[in-house]
Amino acid sequence: MTGLPMKSWLGRTLAAATMSLFAAGSALAGTITVYTSYEEDELAAFLEEAKKDLPDVEVEVLRLSTGDLHARMLAEASNPKHDVIWGWAATSMVDPRILELVEAYEPAGIDKVPPRFRDAGNKWFATTGYMGAFCVNNAIMEADDLPMPASWQDLLKPEYEGRLVMPNPASSGTGYLHVVSILQMMGEEKGWAFLDALDKNMAQYIKSGSKPCNVASAGEYAIGISFALRAIKNIEEGYPITMVVPSEGAGHELEASALMASSQNKADARKFLDWTLSKAAAAEYNEWKSIVTMSDREMPERFLKAGLPADISTALFEVDYAWAAENRDRILAEWQKRYER
Amino acid sequence: MNLSQGGAWRAAADGDRLLLAAVAGGAVLLLVVFVILPLWGILSYSLITPGGLGLGNYARYFGDPRFVSIIGNTFEVSLSVTAATIVLAYGFAYALERTRMPLRPLLRVVALLPIFAPSLVQALGLQFLLGRNGLVNRTFGTELDIYGFWGIFVADLLYAFPHAFLILSTALAVGDQRLYESAEALGASAWRSFRTVTLPATRYGIASATFVVFTIVITDFGNPVVIGGNYSVLAVEIYNQVSGQANFSMGAVIGVLLLFPAALAVVAERWIARHQHAAVGAQSVPLRARPNRRRDLLWLCYCLLVGAAILAVVAVVVYASFVRLWPYNLSLSLRHYAFDVQNGIAPLWTSIQVAFVTAGIAVVVVTLAAYANHQLSEAVKRPLYFLSILPAAVPGMVLGLGYILAFNDPAHPVYAIYDTMLIIAVCNVYHYHAQGFLLATTNMKQISRTFEEASATLGATRLGTLLRVTLPMIWPSVLAIGAFFFMRAMVTLSAVIFLITPSTQLAAVSVLYLDDRGALNQAAAFAVCIMATVIGFLLATQAVLRLAGVRQVSLIR
Repeated sequence: MTGLPMKSWLGRTLAAATMSLFAAGSALAGTITVYTSYEEDELAAFLEEAKKDLPDVEVEVLRLSTGDLHARMLAEASNPKHDVIWGWAATSMVDPRILELVEAYEPAGIDKVPPRFRDAGNKWFATTGYMGAFCVNNAIMEADDLPMPASWQDLLKPEYEGRLVMPNPASSGTGYLHVVSILQMMGEEKGWAFLDALDKNMAQYIKSGSKPCNVASAGEYAIGISFALRAIKNIEEGYPITMVVPSEGAGHELEASALMASSQNKADARKFLDWTLSKAAAAEYNEWKSIVTMSDREMPERFLKAGLPADISTALFEVDYAWAAENRDRILAEWQKRYER
Repeated sequence: MNLSQGGAWRAAADGDRLLLAAVAGGAVLLLVVFVILPLWGILSYSLITPGGLGLGNYARYFGDPRFVSIIGNTFEVSLSVTAATIVLAYGFAYALERTRMPLRPLLRVVALLPIFAPSLVQALGLQFLLGRNGLVNRTFGTELDIYGFWGIFVADLLYAFPHAFLILSTALAVGDQRLYESAEALGASAWRSFRTVTLPATRYGIASATFVVFTIVITDFGNPVVIGGNYSVLAVEIYNQVSGQANFSMGAVIGVLLLFPAALAVVAERWIARHQHAAVGAQSVPLRARPNRRRDLLWLCYCLLVGAAILAVVAVVVYASFVRLWPYNLSLSLRHYAFDVQNGIAPLWTSIQVAFVTAGIAVVVVTLAAYANHQLSEAVKRPLYFLSILPAAVPGMVLGLGYILAFNDPAHPVYAIYDTMLIIAVCNVYHYHAQGFLLATTNMKQISRTFEEASATLGATRLGTLLRVTLPMIWPSVLAIGAFFFMRAMVTLSAVIFLITPSTQLAAVSVLYLDDRGALNQAAAFAVCIMATVIGFLLATQAVLRLAGVRQVSLIR
């Protein structure tokens, strides 16, 4: 290697280091900071579109998992660092400590979102969501001659003993949506009895929501209770798995957005929120999300191929989000008492 | 001695004392700001209950049998991993420092491999190797199930091994040849001379290593969360409470509970340290191991076995980064090195910058703290010592949250560096302060005071002695400390995850998210980039040392 590129590389590194050392992240005009929990790959796609459509707004994004972001926002509450919350679990958004931090805003085009997907007081709205699904490893099913499950009820079959994994609802939003959907669809008493029976087949409760699908994909366990898009992506990666949407109806979670009351650049923050409801954004969501709340969606071919129905609402169990949020502590305490070892 | 001479002497002594006080005071002040303040933020959170301030959260904690059993689990796994790590690492370090077996330089690098990678890599590698669908089960048709106690045991053993090895090999590297010659002349067997000379001389190293390993294991989050299955430990329960349920109060309670074992470890460690004597005196004859074919061969077998285990876990991760789709399509491919995350490979460059800044600050901070600790009298140095090693007991997640709680306030002076790379570097320095401090202390302990007393008698000031006597003797270990912090900064995860900003994303966090997303091969590939960077950095530094004419110094000691 010649000396020159080395020098310029070093120079750039030093310049960058100096800049990031001393330029405290103050809100520059035209710059907004966005906190999100969208998955890395979909986020990259959404941002590319946003850059095209909002050339004069510099969008700085920090992506953390739902729980990490929750903890961070609460810890930063006295001096928030961001202008916008984008695509973050609605059942976390309704935490009163978070709602205190956001400001009501009615973005342009909000009427495209049915009222049940947004806050009555306009504090948040959800353009996308994700739904629960099982990831079933075909190779294991075949090798061990196991039947393909089609429903929650099927998962109780004794031949699945020690072959299931699901997310721990105490640490994973996906885990919580599954538990909530079961308790709501069966009623609490029958719901807990079902979870008791399910526990007998459960090998592990895993901390994260996507991991159960990933370990099933890697053949560590036969069936991972997870969410649909993870399954679809892993199928596209080439893993030998089948996505199963439980016939009783799948639990789901909304991904909500909101404007921070503390924002120093509300004009651009609003512009960005308006964009999240734009046609172009919707087109991107369509490529990546199992649930798009804005009306008139056409399900992409690859989703249909992986096993999603054309009309997603037929596959969903209609979750009562308010109930899910209000009873969270109680349900988790009960769940931990019963199943955490 | 005439009067004017005595006056000058006293003035120099006063200046000395002032300097020492300034160094010690500065070290303590920084520790208070960057360790105690954040911890205070956490502690006050643990006292917040719905009904006002009180101990309600603690009562609730101990009233729950599940939490009590988690404490039991935590101790079970931490104590057993510590015991196993110390025994294995002592043997390994002994073989490297006290025998003439071949391959020593290579084995040293192998022993340190786990330190070059984010802790996640151990768990990832173990899953590839020993998972239910791992290489071993697929190859031999066995049905091993690693998830649970044994998963954590093996992963944390590998993870803590290099830390123990570093401290123990430093302790074993020095010794007085005369003692061994006397023992031999007196007809002592090898075992007896080991028991009566080697073991007592390295007691302090063992105590340090035990303490360090125990706290690394008890506060580790990355391994148990991936491979712990249903076996719950405290560090993971903090994550459950904080990130899972946004329940800061309970998270804080557990954080505070984790501090107690550390305090105990400190007491035990002090007790042993008081019986410690400097191993190398001015009249010492440096140790030279003599070849002994049979002994060297036996030790070589042992080291190869341990080395193979360490290597296997890392190698399988490297291998997985080059295959198309683990474990279903093992044809080779480079496609996982085209990172399709939001920022691509950029976080790696950020991490490198952060690592350099971390190492630079840490070398100064830690060496001065250890130096002050070495020079001060027993009673005075206690607070400094305690503060210096306290960070080892603080789980990264607790420290990171504490930083937000303490410093995210425009009125706070530290706020000036909040949201910059500098705060991440500072957080790294204090997160690993204890390990660096103990490395530096172990080293200073083994320099006899005789040298310094001689220097002082010859009229040198403390500063003069520090610069002209102490530093030249310990500078290789100072460099090693810098390298240690560079490595830690490259791979650490739990504390900094709360401090990264859109413009300061780090490589280890990318690995976590790639792994979480299920892109196992890409996660492995990114981890390989991190390991390559760290190893490259060490080799480059080593090369610079060689060019400067220093040949006998092993950088990663």
